[in-house]
Amino acid sequence: MKIVVTVKLVPDPNGEKKIDPATKRLVRTGVETVINPYDEYALEAALQLKERIGGDSTVTVFCMSPDTLKESLRKALAMGADGAVMLSDSALEGSDVWASAHAMSLALKKIGFDILIVGGLTDDGSTGAVPGALAEFLGVPCLTNVRKIDIADGKVRVERETDGGYQEVTGALPMLVTTALTIGEPRYPSLKGIMGAKKKPIDMLSVAELGAADSVGSTGSKTELLSFAPPPTRGAGKIVKPEDPAAGAATILAFLQEKKLV
Amino acid sequence: MKNVIVYVEQKKGATRKVTFEMLTEARKIADALGGRAVAVVLGAGAAQVAEQVKNYPVDAVQVVEDPAVDTHLLDPIVQYLERAAKSVGPSLLLIPNTLSGRDLAGRLVARLSAGIAADVTEISAANGRVECVSPKLGGALVTHCVLRAGDYGIATIRPGAFAAVAGGSGAAIERQEAQSASYPLTIERDVEEGSGEMALEEAPVVIAGGRGMGGAEPFTNMLKPLADAFGGAVGASRAAADAGWVSYSLQIGQTGKTVSPPLYIAVGISGAIQHKVGMRASGTIVAINKDETAPIAEFADLTVVGDAFAIVPELTKLVTAAKQ
Repeated sequence: MKIVVTVKLVPDPNGEKKIDPATKRLVRTGVETVINPYDEYALEAALQLKERIGGDSTVTVFCMSPDTLKESLRKALAMGADGAVMLSDSALEGSDVWASAHAMSLALKKIGFDILIVGGLTDDGSTGAVPGALAEFLGVPCLTNVRKIDIADGKVRVERETDGGYQEVTGALPMLVTTALTIGEPRYPSLKGIMGAKKKPIDMLSVAELGAADSVGSTGSKTELLSFAPPPTRGAGKIVKPEDPAAGAATILAFLQEKKLV
Repeated sequence: MKNVIVYVEQKKGATRKVTFEMLTEARKIADALGGRAVAVVLGAGAAQVAEQVKNYPVDAVQVVEDPAVDTHLLDPIVQYLERAAKSVGPSLLLIPNTLSGRDLAGRLVARLSAGIAADVTEISAANGRVECVSPKLGGALVTHCVLRAGDYGIATIRPGAFAAVAGGSGAAIERQEAQSASYPLTIERDVEEGSGEMALEEAPVVIAGGRGMGGAEPFTNMLKPLADAFGGAVGASRAAADAGWVSYSLQIGQTGKTVSPPLYIAVGISGAIQHKVGMRASGTIVAINKDETAPIAEFADLTVVGDAFAIVPELTKLVTAAKQ
């Protein structure tokens, strides 16, 4: 079975996020780039699936990103993916949800898959809309927020988390699945995995090869970003040290009544 | 874009407050664009919800009581919304920014070749052009984005960001036939595990507890009564969820939920950046903490330094009395 996992490369979530005032985009240089943490769960799900199914199953990582970030993908290979394909083209910069999902779908059609596993969220200001759009462009069913996957004879049975509980849902391959964090903690790359990753292939794809030149970037997008800026900062408020608990509670009540919150 | 379509998310005849917020906002946008505002209600219980929806200022309420909506994951809803969009004509679709709303919005981006603005808190419209404001990265940044003039646009709406005001002259209810179709995904079992508590993201007041709670009991016998006094919900920091004191569904912060209630009370929470990004967009923030140097004091509107175990029960009494 051919398992494909999409990963996004994002600025280190533990670092400070900066915006370039000229381009209004997230600054992705000069900060460490890592695999979007949520996508590591998708990769973990893919690797577990491969281990369970066995045979000639493979895990391929797909990533749309500037090629300068290529080496950041090695961690996915070190974790156990068999190979990677990178869609990399300066023409893709500024693509919105429609344009990104459209370009990704053309690349994924070229790669081919039985199951496409996508992280539940991204850490760099996502809309959460890409997986659904991607499934539509690919013409496959879309199962989101999945915590358990069972596959037998091309039939898929999953458990997916809902707002107030969970559902068991069935369908057939090929399909797109997005993972919940409860699918399992991502593994750490082993030393052997790290060494082996250096020899694994990262194939490159360009927009021209996909025939998508007119539908990418800012001009190919359905939305236009006007501004991207920090909100007015929230200054420190009052700090009160009451004489006793009752006085503390009274201070809070008076404050809330003044703001008409009680 | 000329018209506005509101997707009314409902289950067994019950809908959330964000529905009424969207219906109210839809009227304003439709008037600014010179078009109609139409609500779409789908599935078992749709007729019941439509009776509530028509008290808000939309022009029409489309109702399809197709049981397939509740037995097949999302695809029937995608079909019906696509059908509604094609019948209403060029329009802006308002969809709640909920777990399934986000999935649905993505599907429709491709179906309708639409631009999308996500988690929207403000909308302005004129001359077929729609501009949306969305907080990003847990409120660290705010984007202003234009849905380019085209046939369709989509905005997922943050619950609690808009006011809900009933009104209008009673929208016409249009019952429509269910279409016969086969759908790829079947819901075999739908298990409700929640205790019917108010959704954290929808609560007008959130009382959140952290490491300082020291165990599970204070959440149920101290924070819950205060939340009940306000008509709000209980949340938690990652430390409290990791310790197993509360379920992860209550966790607020970077790896948990993002909330922006009018009032947020942080009890025994230090206010590390991981927590801050999940709640800093709240209207008013009050902290109760024994340590005046805790980071939360740097951005709370009011910090009361003291023993939360003594202050919270007192506050519960005062709020209960004040509300009577």
